Amino acid sequence: MFEFFFKYPPEVYSRGHYLLASPWPWWALAALIGIAAGGFLWNARRHWNLISRSRALAIWGLQTAMVALLLLLLWRPAISVATLRPQQNIVAVLLDSSRSMTIADEDGRSRFEAASQLLKDGLIDSLGRRFQVRLYRFGDDAHRVDAAHLFNPPDSGVTRIARSLQDIAVESASLPFGAVVLLSDGAENAGGIDFDTIQRLRQTRIPVQTVGFGKERLGRDIEVEDFSVPQRALAGSRVEARIALRQSGLTGETARVTIRDGENVLAAQNVNLTNEAIAVPLIFNAGAAGALNLIARVDPLPGEEHTANNAVARVVNVSARKPRILYVEGEPRWEYKFMRRAADDDPQIELVSMLRTTPNKIYRQGVRDQSELEQGFPTKAEELFAYDGLIIGSVEASWFTPAQQDLIREFAGRRGGGVLFLGGRFGLSEGGWGATDVAEMLPVRLPPAGATFQRVYSNTELAPAGVDTALCRLDDDPQKNVERWKKMPEIANWQLVGDPKPGAALLAEMIPPGHRKTPLLVTEPYGRGRTAVLATGGMWRWQMRSDHTDKTLPTFWRQMLRWLVNDTPGTAVAATPHQVLQDEDRLPLRVEVRDKSYQPLGSAMVQAHFVGPDGLSDTLRLLPVGSEAGVYSADWSAPRPGAYLAEVTASVNGAEIGRDVLTFRRNDGVAENFRTTQNRDLLEKLSLQTAGRYYTPRDARHLADEISYSEAGITSREMLDLWDLPVVLLLALGLRAAEWLLRRRWGVV
Amino acid sequence: MRVWFLGITAVCFSITAVAFQANFKQYPGEEDNPTAVPSGAFERTEWTFARLRYPSGRYAEYAGEKGTWPTDFPKADRQFLQGVRRLTRIHARSTEQVIDLNTDEIFNWPWVYAVEVGHWDLTDAQVKMMREYFERGGFLMVDDFHGTYEWQVFVASMSRIFPDRPIVEIADADPIFHVLYDLGKRVQVPGLQYVYSGKLYEKDGIVPHWRGIYDDKGRLMVTMCFNQDDGDAWEHADNPQYPEQFTSQAYRLGINYIIYSMTH
Repeated sequence: MFEFFFKYPPEVYSRGHYLLASPWPWWALAALIGIAAGGFLWNARRHWNLISRSRALAIWGLQTAMVALLLLLLWRPAISVATLRPQQNIVAVLLDSSRSMTIADEDGRSRFEAASQLLKDGLIDSLGRRFQVRLYRFGDDAHRVDAAHLFNPPDSGVTRIARSLQDIAVESASLPFGAVVLLSDGAENAGGIDFDTIQRLRQTRIPVQTVGFGKERLGRDIEVEDFSVPQRALAGSRVEARIALRQSGLTGETARVTIRDGENVLAAQNVNLTNEAIAVPLIFNAGAAGALNLIARVDPLPGEEHTANNAVARVVNVSARKPRILYVEGEPRWEYKFMRRAADDDPQIELVSMLRTTPNKIYRQGVRDQSELEQGFPTKAEELFAYDGLIIGSVEASWFTPAQQDLIREFAGRRGGGVLFLGGRFGLSEGGWGATDVAEMLPVRLPPAGATFQRVYSNTELAPAGVDTALCRLDDDPQKNVERWKKMPEIANWQLVGDPKPGAALLAEMIPPGHRKTPLLVTEPYGRGRTAVLATGGMWRWQMRSDHTDKTLPTFWRQMLRWLVNDTPGTAVAATPHQVLQDEDRLPLRVEVRDKSYQPLGSAMVQAHFVGPDGLSDTLRLLPVGSEAGVYSADWSAPRPGAYLAEVTASVNGAEIGRDVLTFRRNDGVAENFRTTQNRDLLEKLSLQTAGRYYTPRDARHLADEISYSEAGITSREMLDLWDLPVVLLLALGLRAAEWLLRRRWGVV
Repeated sequence: MRVWFLGITAVCFSITAVAFQANFKQYPGEEDNPTAVPSGAFERTEWTFARLRYPSGRYAEYAGEKGTWPTDFPKADRQFLQGVRRLTRIHARSTEQVIDLNTDEIFNWPWVYAVEVGHWDLTDAQVKMMREYFERGGFLMVDDFHGTYEWQVFVASMSRIFPDRPIVEIADADPIFHVLYDLGKRVQVPGLQYVYSGKLYEKDGIVPHWRGIYDDKGRLMVTMCFNQDDGDAWEHADNPQYPEQFTSQAYRLGINYIIYSMTH
């Protein structure tokens, strides 16, 4: 229809440059239009006594437009557009041969059959009449095939569009590619088209024309779209997980979501499917040390079309390490006792404390030997940074030297530890912390000192952000947890700490009598670590005012202590973006190495020793990344499906300075079970960003004509006239007809 | 409208009243050794000397109706508090807090002191409450009871609180004797009678004992200064006739017991 009125396809108008082909200057055109408009206006003024002024102006407008159109045509409007030279350019046809293309949702045919039919029914021929055609099948990557093998049944367990296009881009360096025609369902398994690939394609100026196959929505289906869970956890910790669901046709129904370790259900929740996309937060206990092979599953619902996408696997490395936390307390108080008791009952936490019992005496508990902290609070980075977490209790800032205050800040910023500040008579504002550089790391804006600490009993409740955190989870049931916070005994005291800073999370609040709600627990990421403020020293009443079987306070403190140290890195930290390799073998490994004072260390020898299924054993040396100090990386290939363990060691001159363990899995035959609907959004964006166009199979018959207009490959520039467009004739007729009809209606013919 | 206003005011007042720790209160007529109320008597603090107001019941014959709980009260309490305030960083009130075992106020005070427990006679409800108190983390220091008979009376109630836990001698190496002051070598602290009699002991309680009951984690819940009278040592700290060494020992021991209870 577009070409009926406009003669050329839309690509011509979107890619071409508009110009006036007449040798006459454009200002002459403007002058003549102005003269004509003036003449018609003079004529209209002569008849203002016969018709109303508005009607006269309407007729003047139509007359002027008509003359302007005719004058414009005399100046020969045209469009200049680059076109591919016939038979001198190559068009790459990429046919998706991944397993998702076998889904039969194209009028009873599979997506692959529909794509094959489109190619066989003339698309290849029509392309071949204008271009040299190269045929490719792609899945994990693109490989060239002849016509006889193009239509072999899909055999790839994975779809990697970006990698496949990169292959074409590499070939284009030596061959005149004019366009890429990509026939796919867009079910990309690598998470999308990365920026580098787009940049590469844009540099080659090759437009990617995409043809999409498959339904854009399934009838009745629910899919586990993502399962995010930390890669590491301390043994016995509560772990936060988030399961992203996407459903179609199931709105209003209820689904049961579980997290399992084998057959053992760690967490479960019934979810009302109110929206298309739903995020389900779940919290579970990590249990004993070892690799946790987790499956996030949504139970199949009646009539569900596709159930292979109802489960996603992840691996969590549950560590048996025993982090050490240094607690500095400025005065004897009950909170200290109950925190120590909670830590003593936790086999995974070592709480080392120093308590100022008198103005000049410090009582130490939890020290490894009598020399530990003998000289007081550490003055050297390597001494303080040997701890994983730090708690500053009711102690004045002035008790620390400026250098020690800097170390406290660096403890979170550089070392990556967790720092907790407690409320108290000498804590926070009353301790003068607001006037120090340490205030920068606090998650709240401290108010000025002066009676901010009150020994008044106060109720507590969770803030919205605290509802789904493992830190504040006192009951496995989320709703009961909210109620439990409200029903806990009043805490013994509270401190005004000001408003949370932007980026901080307000997790719990206090409701002191006669006072508005005020923050109780606020957390914030800071540098490589994290900070928190607990604006009280009176949580102990939870213990003394509850039945002795109630373990709420020890639970709270254990979770608080674990939150401080759970993510504290060691001197060597190994990481990979994919702990579950879905139908791929490449494991990108990145290790960050620091010295004892946690400065990046670029001179280390870093090795990874892999242990895998069937007794597999391999060693890999990682090399420094030039642009990042202290970072080492390498890729390793996991040869077969199964569970793997990588033990990473960093050493300098033969002496080990850091060690880390990473667990991961390779699962085959699962990637194509997900995102089974056509990802039209991805295909459209890919085309848009490379100056191509998205086609449905029905529209694709015009594809051969339209891709002729391309800047890539070997091109020539054509000038196409616009004066003879059918739409111009229709416009001229419309203008005359409108004037005539108006004149008749108003009786001024 | 007036009724509503009064009602709202009453509710606000009652909320405010229960939102603080219990205020200092005097017990005229029950004070064993009355003394002036010091300044700061109503300050709200982290800790104060919490004296257990227990019934003496059938063993109250010598102390009359008021029983034995207020022995040395309140002078001993307030003089000891002066020492705690001066010698430690504990935020302590200048006045004591009397804890009535017929209320649940004890659960707001994780450290309590009971004197003359050789005459106490707890009810079943009080026994149950005391056991719960210890299991939640409370700490009790008992003092000023002497000889075989008073020990038996004390144990009669104590064994009802903890029928399953033994009373043991506290070892010299226990942290409670070292948490602030090193008290490896301790002396028997006598009552005021020493000034007149020259005897360190009363009745047949010749040998002093520092005994205790531990919880499952090896933490002391109850400490017993048996055949000793630390309360008298605090009470008569300003008495020139009472030997200073006993007062010093009693202050150090009391402070150690407090700091231990706040750290273990």
